[in-house]
Amino acid sequence: MIAAVDLAWRNRIFYAFVAPFAALTIVFGVWPIALSVQVSFTASASALGTTPTYVGFANYATVLADPLFVASMARTLLYTGLAVVANLAFAFLAAALIDSPRLRRGTMFFRLALFLPVVTPDVAGYVVWRWLFDRSFGVVNAAADLLGLPPFGGIASVDTVLAAVLIAELWHHAGFYMTIFLANLAMRDRALEEAAAIDGANTWQIWRRVILPQLRPAIAVNLVYATIQFLKTFTVVVVMTKGGPADRTNFVSYYAYQLFDQGRYGEATAMATLLFAVVIALSLGALRFVERSEVR
Amino acid sequence: MRIARILGAAGLAAFVAAAAPVSVQAQQLTIWHDLGDNGVAWFERAGAEFAKTRPGVSVRSISYPTDQWFGRVISALNTNTAPDLIFNNYERVIRIQTQTNKILDLRATLNEIADKGFLGEDDLRVATFNNRMIILPAQRVQMAFGMRASWLAKVGEQFPQTWDDVRRVAGKFRDADPDGNGRPDTFGMALQAARPRDLIHMLDLFVFGSGLRHTLIDPQGQITIDRPEHAEVLEEFLKTYTEYRFVAPDTINHSFNEMYQVILGNRAGMFRVGDWNVRGWDGANALAGDFVSGPWPSFRGRPNSVVIGGMRGVAVPENSPNRALALEFAKFLLGKEAQQASLELLGAAVRKDLNVSALSPRQQYFARAEHRLAAYDFPESVHTFYPELEAAFHRKLLSGIANPPRDWKPFIAETAREMRELAARLGRN
Repeated sequence: MIAAVDLAWRNRIFYAFVAPFAALTIVFGVWPIALSVQVSFTASASALGTTPTYVGFANYATVLADPLFVASMARTLLYTGLAVVANLAFAFLAAALIDSPRLRRGTMFFRLALFLPVVTPDVAGYVVWRWLFDRSFGVVNAAADLLGLPPFGGIASVDTVLAAVLIAELWHHAGFYMTIFLANLAMRDRALEEAAAIDGANTWQIWRRVILPQLRPAIAVNLVYATIQFLKTFTVVVVMTKGGPADRTNFVSYYAYQLFDQGRYGEATAMATLLFAVVIALSLGALRFVERSEVR
Repeated sequence: MRIARILGAAGLAAFVAAAAPVSVQAQQLTIWHDLGDNGVAWFERAGAEFAKTRPGVSVRSISYPTDQWFGRVISALNTNTAPDLIFNNYERVIRIQTQTNKILDLRATLNEIADKGFLGEDDLRVATFNNRMIILPAQRVQMAFGMRASWLAKVGEQFPQTWDDVRRVAGKFRDADPDGNGRPDTFGMALQAARPRDLIHMLDLFVFGSGLRHTLIDPQGQITIDRPEHAEVLEEFLKTYTEYRFVAPDTINHSFNEMYQVILGNRAGMFRVGDWNVRGWDGANALAGDFVSGPWPSFRGRPNSVVIGGMRGVAVPENSPNRALALEFAKFLLGKEAQQASLELLGAAVRKDLNVSALSPRQQYFARAEHRLAAYDFPESVHTFYPELEAAFHRKLLSGIANPPRDWKPFIAETAREMRELAARLGRN
């Protein structure tokens, strides 16, 4: 204890400089989360008042007994899994192509083309995607018709809505993940690839044994960030599907939002807290997975 | 000494500045609603009339989109930052009361109104929830069946009288290029089905317009949807969304906004017309009056109707900052001047002694109420669990629309069974 105090005292200048930012983090980061968790233990009608009525775990019991919530959580996890894999795979392939020495011209164009959607306002982007998928006048079905393909249900069909939403989100997010991969690719030690080539390694072996291990930092960052991003999927649902058709895109964030809208703050924050716990658990799991594979 | 005087003067000035708005605020009533610009104009006009006998009083109304209105009202009532009055459909006020339990019982206030003979038994029943009068009814909401007049002429049809007529005309609207642009881009009807609640208005039109008395449950607590005459109508309702292909294929993603885009974008020939729509649709920027309203078509020869889909009214929160004045204004909204303004600006009122001559013919259709009117059965005021039951019902119907079965009859039977189980469970709790 004394040693810790002594250590802190020796680093007092550092702590003095850090203190304001730590205070800001606590006030604007930790405190709202703590308040949200607190509300999840109160009766909705009194939740925002000065003397809330505490109901223990009643809101959690209600939420967990709600088949719609259970289905919503399952759907959220499924969608997150699909979206993380699709986004990272696409981003990785795009980064590998753009980084390839064979692509001598146009790298800036492709970088821009893939990154522009990231800086496009998400609502505007999803409105356009909604129009693209429209089954009456959308370009997607017009193209399918032109090519003699069967019509694509898009966001209007329970069979295709997840894919349609995933495509729109991939368009919006993949450029960001690609940029992280590209940054990591630019930092790698190319001498190792030359050495491997001299030792007779083929292209696949060089990627598998030499380049990929060097991309672990990018994979870790992207995996954790994408997991968090897609577990919280919200805007695309509000703009494109409103949770439908037939609840197929009623993810947890949107479901909680609907309850907020009805003033059911206790249940809504209980849902948000459960989602927060899942986000933390999966993010830590993803990080641990990448770290362990690094050790091996 | 000089500094003390300066500080004293500054302090006095600050006190006066702080106190002045308070004294003005005490005379200003604030009302939150979702009626848009026309609603703001109505409250402005009613407030000006109200102020004639109460000098210094002003009324400020704020219109929020409906979704935001809910959240703001609930949080304001629960945090003692409530407005003086709120105004909305009765079922929305019921939801506010369920979440806050802070809506005043207005029975005593109603008793103070001498001139209230225009309020019928149904009007007062809908205003009551859990033995409390939570609104003073101010506007009956009527819904009729609308049709593009130019499209009817183009396909050589009259306003449909029967459901069979509707099916024939809707098919022509879809297939006969009624807008004359040479492209197959028109639909028979404009509906909405993005969220479970989106089904409510058209379901009410189908059910009450066709002469049935209950959408789901009767006052005795019996589920009605699988009774033969009801199941028939419900099946046609579901088929309209699916196998008849009368609606845009993306209707399952359409909520209010998208449905209105289909109507105003010249893409559908039949639609619901609410009395609140007419003023806007008569204008040059919308349908420019290219529509005709009428009763819901007759189904299997049963009497057909224009539907009273709900009741809008004024409610007063228990923690209203100016409660006594708010109650006075609530009563004033049922007076002739305020009701006349409501009719002219919003197309709806509850009084029957108003002057309708200044209204457009389409507005007069509702204002005169010349056709048979069928009122929504207001089950919320009989069964307190109804909102939850209704939400499950809508969700079930929506699942059917999203995954249409080959035969709707077993689906309706299964839905009725599920609703009976749920009603029994909710009734026990």
